Amino acid sequence: MLRVLNPNAEVLNKSAALHMNINAAKGLQDVLKTNLGPKGTIKMLVGGAGDIKLTKDGNTLLKEMQIQNPTAIMIARTAVAQDDISGDGTTSTVIFIGELMKQSERYIDEGMHPRVLVDGFEIAKRATLQFLEKFKTPVVMGDEPDKEILKMVARTTLRTKLYEALADQLTDIVTNAVLCIRKPEEAIDLFMVEIMHMRHKFDVDTRLVEGLVLDHGSRHPDMKRRAENCHILTCNVSLEYDKSEINAGFFYSNAEQREAMIAAERRQVDERVQKIIDLKNKVCSGKDNNFVVINQKGIDPPSLDLLARAGIIALRRAKRRNMERLILACGGEAVNSVDDLTPDCLGWAGLVYEHVLGEEKYTFVENVRNPHSCTILIKGPNDHTIAQIKDAVRDGLRAVKNTIEDESVVLGAGAFEVAARQHLINEVKKTVEGRAQLGVVAFADALLVVPKTLAENSGLDKQDVIIALTGEHDRGNVVGLSQHTGEPIDPQMEGIFDNYSVKRQILNSGPVIASQLLLVDEVIRAGRNMRKPT
Amino acid sequence: MGLQMPSYGIQSMLKEGHKHLSGLEEAVLKNIDACKQLSTITRTSLGPNGRNKMVINHLDKLFITNDAATIVSELEVQHPAAKILVLAAKAQQEEIGDGANLTISFAGELLQNAEELIRTGLHPSEVISGYTKAINKTVEILDELVEKGSETMDVRNKDEVVSRTKAAIASKQFGQEDILSSLVADACIQVCPKNPANFNVDNVRVVKLLGGGLHNCTVVRGMVLKSDAVGSIKRIEKAKVAVFAGGVDTSATETKGTVLIHNAEQLENYAKTEEAKVEELIKAVADSGAKVIVSGAAVGEMALHFCERYKLMVLKISSKFELRRFCRTTGAVAMLKLSQPNPDNLGYVDSVSVEEIGGVRVTVVNNEEGGNTVSTVLLRGSTDSILDDLERAVDDGVNTYKAMCRDSRIVPGAAATEIELAKRVKEFSFKETGLDQYAIAKFAGSFEMVPKTLAENAGLNSMDIISSLYAEHASGNSKVGIDLEEGVCKDVSPMNIWDLHVTKFFALKYAADAACTVLRVDQIIMSKPAGGPRRDQPAGMDED
Repeated sequence: MLRVLNPNAEVLNKSAALHMNINAAKGLQDVLKTNLGPKGTIKMLVGGAGDIKLTKDGNTLLKEMQIQNPTAIMIARTAVAQDDISGDGTTSTVIFIGELMKQSERYIDEGMHPRVLVDGFEIAKRATLQFLEKFKTPVVMGDEPDKEILKMVARTTLRTKLYEALADQLTDIVTNAVLCIRKPEEAIDLFMVEIMHMRHKFDVDTRLVEGLVLDHGSRHPDMKRRAENCHILTCNVSLEYDKSEINAGFFYSNAEQREAMIAAERRQVDERVQKIIDLKNKVCSGKDNNFVVINQKGIDPPSLDLLARAGIIALRRAKRRNMERLILACGGEAVNSVDDLTPDCLGWAGLVYEHVLGEEKYTFVENVRNPHSCTILIKGPNDHTIAQIKDAVRDGLRAVKNTIEDESVVLGAGAFEVAARQHLINEVKKTVEGRAQLGVVAFADALLVVPKTLAENSGLDKQDVIIALTGEHDRGNVVGLSQHTGEPIDPQMEGIFDNYSVKRQILNSGPVIASQLLLVDEVIRAGRNMRKPT
Repeated sequence: MGLQMPSYGIQSMLKEGHKHLSGLEEAVLKNIDACKQLSTITRTSLGPNGRNKMVINHLDKLFITNDAATIVSELEVQHPAAKILVLAAKAQQEEIGDGANLTISFAGELLQNAEELIRTGLHPSEVISGYTKAINKTVEILDELVEKGSETMDVRNKDEVVSRTKAAIASKQFGQEDILSSLVADACIQVCPKNPANFNVDNVRVVKLLGGGLHNCTVVRGMVLKSDAVGSIKRIEKAKVAVFAGGVDTSATETKGTVLIHNAEQLENYAKTEEAKVEELIKAVADSGAKVIVSGAAVGEMALHFCERYKLMVLKISSKFELRRFCRTTGAVAMLKLSQPNPDNLGYVDSVSVEEIGGVRVTVVNNEEGGNTVSTVLLRGSTDSILDDLERAVDDGVNTYKAMCRDSRIVPGAAATEIELAKRVKEFSFKETGLDQYAIAKFAGSFEMVPKTLAENAGLNSMDIISSLYAEHASGNSKVGIDLEEGVCKDVSPMNIWDLHVTKFFALKYAADAACTVLRVDQIIMSKPAGGPRRDQPAGMDED
């Protein structure tokens, strides 16, 4: 036979290719399946350096697992895209794709052409999206968003990532954090929520700080560790001696001249420091106020010394992102030069204090007047707990933000999936002609994977649950699955809501990737090691 | 050649070298097994009669200790689940500074009991929920067990301090706890600030000097520097001190300078102006009344010459932190540049003297009155490892002092608390109806590990001890613990064995947290160990 390809290249064709794809999708589904829902189990990932990561979050898992199978990589990428867009639903995406492939396999084995199935998927997808529009529960987000709804959405997301007690505590934290940074008429910038972590105490000591926490302290032993009623100067001014750019030197012939030079070198920096001290004396004189300088650039020891003597707390080398947040939290403005300092530039905080943990120092800027930036201070006894909470907090914040932006939510606990499936089978199927009907059926059955997996993870019988749920839906009741009893429940009563955008994204991206994979009929892997055949 | 059909499952999807473990048998039970092994190592070190371990770490440094925190941190535990226990112990060590052994041993015991439950068919999630309930109950009971009247204590009363630190030190250095705890109490009380909550562990220094024995250990009110004085003046009393962080030398510019000399006369003059300048500065210091100069950096030859001339003692402390501590000791304010010190910036010492202890020259800085916030425990011992172990015992004691400054509540020691907890949690388990009651009962049973291990390590019959402890507690004597010296059960209050409530609280809580975390994991995905320089093969014992 004539070989067109490099002898090392590997080729899989027709059904072999298809089955490879299906198997990969199912394999990935198997891995992630146990993650879904509040009763999902935790995976432990051990990195190359022996570092431990514990996670239940599908996205983290996909990122950390070094997947090599090409099909699995494609699915994983879709899931990662899901996370980028909506911040949640990665596990659902992967298992939905897996299930679509599994359902298709049945029909393909019976001799159906993938193309027809894909057509059916397309019809079903459009119908389901339309159904979603009808099914969603609109939430009015006026000037004062309904906090209860936001909390419910956040709780639903967080409970799938962390254990219950901790999730409930974080619910309040993330909801308040988003409401804190929300400004009317502006898109929510989650970047304005600083996430800081301290290895200390227990995970349930995580809290929201209305203000800012900086992960460094003042560098001078004589500065105060705690100050109340503080004026805050946020600046980006170098308070250290800069070497000139040109290669300069100077000649001197006695020690006096050298002393004079030393004094001259310092003068420039000292003048800048003096301006800050003057401002401090102007605003603080006679009052019981304090003055804090937070500088993005450096402050050298002599300047620190001068500031300390004037009773000013000075922090150097603050992070750039924190400069922006400081202004939002404390007010005032960031100054880039000390030439025209006015009291208007200053922010204000009720309390500034330093917390020392072993070698690390943290500075808390708290009790600010009108915060538009806040800090979620994560605590935990070890790094993997902190990392786990951090991932969860990120998803929780996104969930709250999505709700505010979508102005609607979707009933959770599998209620939507069951309802959509019934809609497809009972209504949509009849409107479709020919074999594409089977595609719709496959799609509809694939939707059921979510309640099925939820049931499986809770140790319930899958079939029982599905029959109970579909039965209730046919009677016109919208119900979801109770994780504890396995009985149908009303998600609205239980406060289980999912994000609208998450569901929409899953429905949009899942079928697309499944269709692509189904339509593959040849896999060619280029020969590796071209020069050195092994 | 066709691509062979990839095998089904996750294994085929990962990069080569990945390991994937999942399910009850492969992940959960294996994890438990690893944790059990770790806790068996540390368990024999629990309590006053705990055995020492000889640990040789990857740098070939030898440790002989029974301090669990040191053992596990030097062991370099590889297994991921066992590592969770190690992390819990480290957290305990950072939070309280004592009780790391209790954390690991108790977590190990919890897991061992969980294994039995799982083997009998309980699902790990039920074990977790039972354990969570039990630890919450334990915390409640622990609060009730607090000795009445212990909420308020005078942290400056030596007897009270000694009674609280003794148990912590006894578990590290049994038989020497009386000497050590009194040393620790002295050192801590001396530096205790007005508000005891601000007590800083850093203010109690430990200096180890080879030679002598435990009876030569002393507490110095001030600092002991392990260096000699720079100049020839070795002893000064009741003197003022000037501290210069930037060094005692001719000052230099940031810009590169060159001396411009036209003729021989200028050369001569230049050296003279230089000298005059230094003399002027040193004289200014001497005029301010200071008798001791402390430099944070180099001391120039010329400057030293003038210091000698003006009869100034010169010390060099090159560590920035040590210099800060010195400032705290003497109440001096460090100046950056050599210049005339402001009288406010001067510190004061009662005496500074260079002494020779055990062949090492040390500078003892003594400051008896006012402003002193640093004290030093001078430890003597015959070998390095004994000294290291003594240091760890002192550290534990100091950390206990810090903990008691924040929360002085105490609970009965010598396993009395554990037996009481075991009894009460077991009672609690009878009231539960779900499957988790078995887990709660096992949790209660895990507390027996403490008296059992204490008894075993002391060579007593553990069964006898536990049963008689239970009998005493059942009849309402909730303070009965083990007297290890006589091998009988006794009320601990006359023996003065108390543990701090916070130490127990954190140790139990961290242990339960760690155990639950290990149980929650049902899948482990391990990536291929990263490359990097290959470590030497672990040296065999015979090579040492």
